[in-house]
Amino acid sequence: MESLSTAAGHEPNSLSSTPSRSHYESTSMATAAAAASLTSTTPSASPSPALSTSTVTTLPSTSISFSDSVPASNPASASALAYQSSSHPPSRDNCERRREGEEETPSKGLIKMPFDLAGKTLSPFLKEHIPGLYAPVGKNLKKEANTSPSNELVNIKDPNTKYCYRHRPDSKCRRAADETKMGTIQRELNNLPSTDQEAITHVWSLFSAAPAKHRELMLQGIITQCCFPQLSTVSREVQEQLKIDFIATLPVELSYKILCNLDTVSLCKAAQVSRRWRDLADDDVVWHRMCEQHIDRKCTKCGWGLPLLERKKLMAWNRHQHTAHANPPTRSAEDSAEPAAAPAAQGSNKRAMVVRDDSGAKRSRVRGSPVNGRAQLDEERKFRPWKDVYRDRYKVGYNWKTGRCSIRTFKGHENGITCLQFDHNILATGSYDTTIKIWNVETGECIRTLRGHTSTIRTLQFDEGKLISGSFDKTIKIWNWHTGECISTLQGHTDGVLSIHFDGCKLASGSIDKTVKIFNFDTKQTWTLRGHSDWVNHVRIDSASRTVFSASDDLTVKLWDLDSKQCIKTYLGHVGQVQQILLMPPDFEPDEDPNADVGDAASAASGRGDSPMPLPEQAPDSRTAFGPGFSNPSRPLPPRYMLTGGLDNTVRLWDVATGKCIRSMFGHVEGIWGLVGDTLRVVTGANDSMTKIWEPRSGKCERSFTGHAGPVTCVGLSDSRMASGSEDGEVRLYSFEGNSLEERGTPS
Amino acid sequence: MAEAKPASQKIWLISNDNATMEVDRVVVERSMLLKNMLEDLSHTDITQDNPIPIPNVNEAVLRKVVEWCEHHRNDPVTTPDDESDARKKTTDIEEWDQKFMQVDQEMLFEIILASNFLDIKPLLDVGCKTVANMIKGKSPEEIRKTFNITNDFSAEEEEQIRRENEWAEDR
Repeated sequence: MESLSTAAGHEPNSLSSTPSRSHYESTSMATAAAAASLTSTTPSASPSPALSTSTVTTLPSTSISFSDSVPASNPASASALAYQSSSHPPSRDNCERRREGEEETPSKGLIKMPFDLAGKTLSPFLKEHIPGLYAPVGKNLKKEANTSPSNELVNIKDPNTKYCYRHRPDSKCRRAADETKMGTIQRELNNLPSTDQEAITHVWSLFSAAPAKHRELMLQGIITQCCFPQLSTVSREVQEQLKIDFIATLPVELSYKILCNLDTVSLCKAAQVSRRWRDLADDDVVWHRMCEQHIDRKCTKCGWGLPLLERKKLMAWNRHQHTAHANPPTRSAEDSAEPAAAPAAQGSNKRAMVVRDDSGAKRSRVRGSPVNGRAQLDEERKFRPWKDVYRDRYKVGYNWKTGRCSIRTFKGHENGITCLQFDHNILATGSYDTTIKIWNVETGECIRTLRGHTSTIRTLQFDEGKLISGSFDKTIKIWNWHTGECISTLQGHTDGVLSIHFDGCKLASGSIDKTVKIFNFDTKQTWTLRGHSDWVNHVRIDSASRTVFSASDDLTVKLWDLDSKQCIKTYLGHVGQVQQILLMPPDFEPDEDPNADVGDAASAASGRGDSPMPLPEQAPDSRTAFGPGFSNPSRPLPPRYMLTGGLDNTVRLWDVATGKCIRSMFGHVEGIWGLVGDTLRVVTGANDSMTKIWEPRSGKCERSFTGHAGPVTCVGLSDSRMASGSEDGEVRLYSFEGNSLEERGTPS
Repeated sequence: MAEAKPASQKIWLISNDNATMEVDRVVVERSMLLKNMLEDLSHTDITQDNPIPIPNVNEAVLRKVVEWCEHHRNDPVTTPDDESDARKKTTDIEEWDQKFMQVDQEMLFEIILASNFLDIKPLLDVGCKTVANMIKGKSPEEIRKTFNITNDFSAEEEEQIRRENEWAEDR
């Protein structure tokens, strides 16, 4: 303990010699003091008062008091004692002075340092605390049994507690040696006299040998001795070195959880960080989640939405993940999920087709079977990673966002286009020239012309087998569009037919004669819905709720109950003739709607895969809004929201149950003739010759397209395409699929 | 200790480094693990002398976790993880939590592990989001720097992976 007291004794001395706290002053004093000490000791020692050396040289002074105290029987308690006594006198108040003292203390201290003694005391200490390195494990417990009682307590529980539990040798959390850092330390060390080197090394080995508890104490002791510049060094070093590879170190399920919070771009960057990161960041668990959040819906986080993918596959995979939840999801779990998902996915091809690919001007939810090309594509997707599936959609989504597309123009009609619909293979158009044309979407050539109507074709709808058209000649015709043959002609309206819509076995039509007619293909029954006081421009069937919506020149939209054949609601608000109705999908939620709460959206969404129709997720009182016909809770309600477009230049968003107009969308300068859309976007065509893309949740116009030489009368939409037909006799088909496309249109 | 209303009932926890702390029962019950555990115990089982041991969580971390639970003691109980989780509208971290998470990486790491172990889902979410925010918007090299990760790809591999992920870049 005598060296301890001398070491401590130095400090007060040096303290009193320079009471000034001025940096410059003390520095000059330090040099003087250092020079003085140099003469008495190693001439080679650098007298530099620089901060960098001072941080290093503080260590020896500490080590000396520590190791000298070791012979005092118990190393643990002695070291603690030593720290207390040595660290108290130099408080932060004297830090400036200590810098100068540092130059002094090491040199003096080193002489006093009995190395053989240190060697003797050090090795038992090392042996005791690093049994894994210095002694066989078997001896470990015995050794510990006769050391300090405090140690015993801890060690008996777990021989490994000498490491902080994160730093066990087997733990992944051990930090790798930092080569550059080690290099710097080595260089600095080499610049010191060998005695100093030895002393410093002693400090380090003592520290490295110490158990976690002791290490903490040592650090606390050292840190309390530090002056602010030294603390700053500590802080910098800590900042630099306290870095943890979370993704590689955490349990995988937590790593996935973190990665699931990333956006597409960041996730792709993360995959480039290291092998481990790539494995995790490319994993199906993560990308499936991305697909779930973005495909066929707007992600609530980033506002991105991507085209639909087979929903049932998504859900089947989901179920599998939930059942396999006990084990952290891995590649193998996902592989085994694929075959299980396959049959379900097959069935969903149809649904996917039905919901999205029938998107003509008159969108419908027709039953049908997949077109071959698409089916093959779906088949292929089952065996692809979710990241690839996502990537394909992302590219398309990106093109939509930036307006990058290719345009194909379909020319051939002798007069203006009035209606259109397209799918992956064909485009069908109706014209004032009384014909219907079937076009090859890919090549742009006209495959067939359907002749038979004697006046303007005003409406059409097709599925994979048939095409139904309505004309100013007062008739509705059903065609086999593959052959061009007219299968039958329905007569009933007393004036021109403006709109038809079929779904399942029901066909609805709206006419200049102010009526809506419903025809049931199965029962051959027909009935007429009367109530509008002017032309009925548009009709939409909602099969699930057994209702029909109709839009009229009388400025109203009406909702009809197909059970009672009564009008159950009238929507007032448009100040121009209402031309179009678009029923929004069940997962659609407008941005500022006060009724839109998270829980409801979630539960509605969970049922999406089972039915493309809205589910009865609305509040109970919305049921009464539709009258006694809906008192039975098993009857599905009509869609919650609809958009309507009219010649008052506006698109309006309605709450179907309350009948309130929630929002008007402005932008067209003339009346709107065409309106289509899905969860991701709404497309309108208007008399001002423009086609506009809107964001449905916010109601903001995203981009405007020009190019037609006359009013746009009809529009169509699919996952990756958009079409507009005009009175100029042309259809422009915009395709957002593909690479290196040119930006078109004007962003808003 | 008067066995009063459950609201003011106290629970004692002991960290793995033997620090005992007194916490309100409602606060402790933010941890689903401890909540379930307490339901199986009678009121008198947990005393100052017989605290609940929290293995693998040291005092500093446990205090931090308790601090979070104190602040969120009145939050509504979260529903179990399910599909709807992906559809939550709240994606940002609330301000208090952001401040709470301004800790060094080791502490953040420990908070994540502790909240996972103690089954405090909202805290785990905040922790994971905090790490995600540290990754977001960074280049691979910046990510490596942030977490001190060695790039173990060869130059060719790196180039290939960069090309594989190019589609997500802004063009």
